[in-house]
Amino acid sequence: MNCVELQQSLAEVEEGNSTEQRAHLRACPACSALVKDLSLIVAEARELQAADEPSPRVWNSIETALRREGLIRSPRAARPPVSSFGTRWGTARWLVPAAAMLLLALGIHMRQQSVPNQFARQASVTVPVANASDLNDDDLLQEVADIAPELKTQYEENLRRVNESIRDAQGVVDESPNDEDARRSLMDAYQQKSMLFEMAMDRSLQ
Amino acid sequence: MADQQAWGSCNMASKRAAKLVAIGVIVAGTLVAESKKEYHFSVGPRAGVSVMNPYGSISVKPSLNNTVVVNAFLHSDKVEVDNNQNGNRVDIQSHLLAGADADSGRVDYEVLVPADASVTLHSNTGSLHAEKLHGDVSLEGPGAAVDVRDVSDAHVHVKTMNGAVNLDNIQNGHVEVDSLSGDVTLRGVTGPLVQVVSTSGRINYIGDFGNGGEYRLTSHSGDIEATIPEWTSADVSARSVRGEVHDDIPLQPKNHTWFPLDKGRAFAGTMGRVAVSSTVVLRTFSGKIHLRKRSEKQ
Repeated sequence: MNCVELQQSLAEVEEGNSTEQRAHLRACPACSALVKDLSLIVAEARELQAADEPSPRVWNSIETALRREGLIRSPRAARPPVSSFGTRWGTARWLVPAAAMLLLALGIHMRQQSVPNQFARQASVTVPVANASDLNDDDLLQEVADIAPELKTQYEENLRRVNESIRDAQGVVDESPNDEDARRSLMDAYQQKSMLFEMAMDRSLQ
Repeated sequence: MADQQAWGSCNMASKRAAKLVAIGVIVAGTLVAESKKEYHFSVGPRAGVSVMNPYGSISVKPSLNNTVVVNAFLHSDKVEVDNNQNGNRVDIQSHLLAGADADSGRVDYEVLVPADASVTLHSNTGSLHAEKLHGDVSLEGPGAAVDVRDVSDAHVHVKTMNGAVNLDNIQNGHVEVDSLSGDVTLRGVTGPLVQVVSTSGRINYIGDFGNGGEYRLTSHSGDIEATIPEWTSADVSARSVRGEVHDDIPLQPKNHTWFPLDKGRAFAGTMGRVAVSSTVVLRTFSGKIHLRKRSEKQ
């Protein structure tokens, strides 16, 4: 089992580890540290359970206020008006934030792992904004037209130029994958496009 | 005949009167619509001041004491100025009301801040100006022309789409300029990091590249020109992938570079004293690069 397989298997395992996982964790300090961190998060999340449970008086107060406002009509004697997430799910409710944190940590960790792997596989460029090329130019221009129509022509022209620069730089990178300058040019071009989008979405336009 | 003349002169007089009334109404309307507002804030050392202005200029100069003074000139009643102080931070924002456009929503700001304040300015269309400060300066705007001068020991960050950028006398600065198509001129700009990235704008550097900093000027299709005195100490590399490079200053050639030194397309070498030399990287894809020697007149 390698690091990626272990990390993928973590989400499927609730308690303990399989033999393969244990063997990998013994050999791999990075994965071992990751699992230790995740275990700590889950343990800390359990500790929060008792402290954050609101008292019944809170629910009663809410119920009274809602009835006074006319928002609810039929009183519920046994249960609070808002069904308690904690009551219904018991201890399992803490698995939701814990799982979210776990996925977040996993995502960050896998991203960190994947960058050197990409470099190892090929000498081509890794652009800093991975999804910049997927950004929809038409949507951007439509957004600008809606918010600041007087700037649309300028955005259109600059978008055309920056797309050209990406194509140019990509062409050189394809020809000479080991050309550091070309790779940097491509990165710069993507960053410029990213900046254009940032500007278009900036709050001063809105 | 006499009646006709009398009628004609009477007609002209009433036309003139009507014109005067119309001009008076326009002037009065303008005076009513345009208004000035002034705000004062007391702040401590290293305050933060932010001005967000969709349409109009912002000019920032140092104040004499720990006070932020904001003079706002509103061009119509379709725009308001929101101001907020939170501790050592002052936020000013032009608030466009319904129906406001680039003309009626325009506000021009003149702001005085303590010289050590950090300043963030944002405008879509107006000019952005900051001078005589030694706190960090961040200026941003798609069409904003940017002018920063006499700033020291500070970060200067500029982002524009097509506005021209002029930086003058920035000492010991951490300077980063991103511009898509506006021309960028740096005059007397030195510091540990001076970086300009442009897509199609022209970059013009006039100065001596300081001591021991990193200077990286990059434009995809714009020309790059650096004019430096002969006594500059720098480790220079220049390369244009599709364009030309010219070098008026003799450099000590380098044996190893990690890019091909195609004649006319690239050069690399050192000049002056190695111990204090700065690293200078000039890069363009299809523009021209010219390293010029500064004449005594410049």
